[in-house]
Amino acid sequence: MQTLRAFTAFIVLAAAAPAAQTTAREQLARGRALWDQRLSKSAMAALEAAARDRSTAAEAHEALGRIYMFKGWQQESAFPGWHDEPSYRARAIAELRAAIKADPARASAQDALRMAEGFAAADKVDPAPPRDEVKALDAKLESFRNAASAPVADIVAAIEARAQAQADPAPYFTGAQILLDRGEADRAIALAERGAAVSDRFIDENLSAYQMSGKSEGSYARGRALAADLVGWARVLKKDYAGAAAKLEEASRLSQGQDFTNQFHLGELARAQNAPERARDHYLNALSLTGFSGGPPPLRQRATQALAALPRSGSDSSFDAWLDAELSRRREARKAAALKSLVDRPLPKLTLTTVDGRPYDTSSLRGKVLLLNFFASW
Amino acid sequence: MPHLKTVYAKYQNDPAVAFLLVSIDDDSKRLQRYLDEMTFAFPVARAAATQAEQAMKFDNIPATFYVDRSGIVRYETNGIESHGDSPSRISWFIDQLKTR
Repeated sequence: MQTLRAFTAFIVLAAAAPAAQTTAREQLARGRALWDQRLSKSAMAALEAAARDRSTAAEAHEALGRIYMFKGWQQESAFPGWHDEPSYRARAIAELRAAIKADPARASAQDALRMAEGFAAADKVDPAPPRDEVKALDAKLESFRNAASAPVADIVAAIEARAQAQADPAPYFTGAQILLDRGEADRAIALAERGAAVSDRFIDENLSAYQMSGKSEGSYARGRALAADLVGWARVLKKDYAGAAAKLEEASRLSQGQDFTNQFHLGELARAQNAPERARDHYLNALSLTGFSGGPPPLRQRATQALAALPRSGSDSSFDAWLDAELSRRREARKAAALKSLVDRPLPKLTLTTVDGRPYDTSSLRGKVLLLNFFASW
Repeated sequence: MPHLKTVYAKYQNDPAVAFLLVSIDDDSKRLQRYLDEMTFAFPVARAAATQAEQAMKFDNIPATFYVDRSGIVRYETNGIESHGDSPSRISWFIDQLKTR
């Protein structure tokens, strides 16, 4: 009995060595095949297993290194919606070094490592900074934000000088804001309107830099929204409420209700017009925006205080509890609407017929601005 | 609908702008009666209600989509909105897309 068990153990051991080798080879082949199909998670798991076996380590480390290099630097343009994952960059270089360590003569791993190191070196190159001249002029203009006694003529001169140096719309919008804070509503309106035209021109001139058409449309709308909001706010300060409403609402449509400052301005306008319901709605819209679009903390505080001062009907809970509930409701609604909306997506294919049932020829609509209205007679 | 008629009058000779109304009625007699009453000057087509609702993702009519020259939907209004689907607002959407 004893002998038999020892004998069996010997057979198992003898079989184990070649079996493990086949498995590592198989894992390597499987990992490569999975990667060819761009099934990266499974491919990486198989290759990691193959990398643990000495017989396949060099090949597996190299394959992993190439996948990580792809993920770290190259995949952004490979599939719509994919982005580079910088966390893989250091791992790519480590895997390729491990491949060379396992087999110092492996030329393909050395090639891959050189390429990855090239990418890594390119990451360290400083992206083009603004020209020193522009930086200085920006700083000069910014310094007027807190210079209450500076002559208006000096501010205007600083705006013009900065606008001369570089043709983007920023100095017009910054300048309009500074002049508004100084109570110079008319000058601010004129500057904001010039800023809108300059913004369009700047985008036209650099259209290819915006890469995707959706992105440049977004930029046109941003410049126009900012200008409309500034003009609208200047009109609020001038107590021209009807004119203000037209501009602030235009800005709200352009920014799809997602600009904090604009929603805050609409709230302030509604409060000035004695429309507490509408004011509450806009303040809540503003405060429900978060992150980059969440607005500066001092303005958030002002919006919260204005909201707390408005009469609240049909709620016994504390202001804070009510506010939390309202804001999360709005965020959820916005998320649901964004998932559902077709805005910024291509018009889907539709099968249309004429009223008497023949196929409808849509070729005459191509290349035109189209208003498409769905209705029913009931 | 009356607003659309007003706005259409403004753009009907503009070669850069097209209007298309799509009925999702399934009763063709009733639709024909309605069209006879309304006497629309602009083109009217038909689509199956479920297909249109699923493709265009609306659950409220009238639903209006504003599509730019390259075929991308840029604005959308659903139902009859409280701010008023006024002629000036409809024109605003069209004019925005025309300047792009």
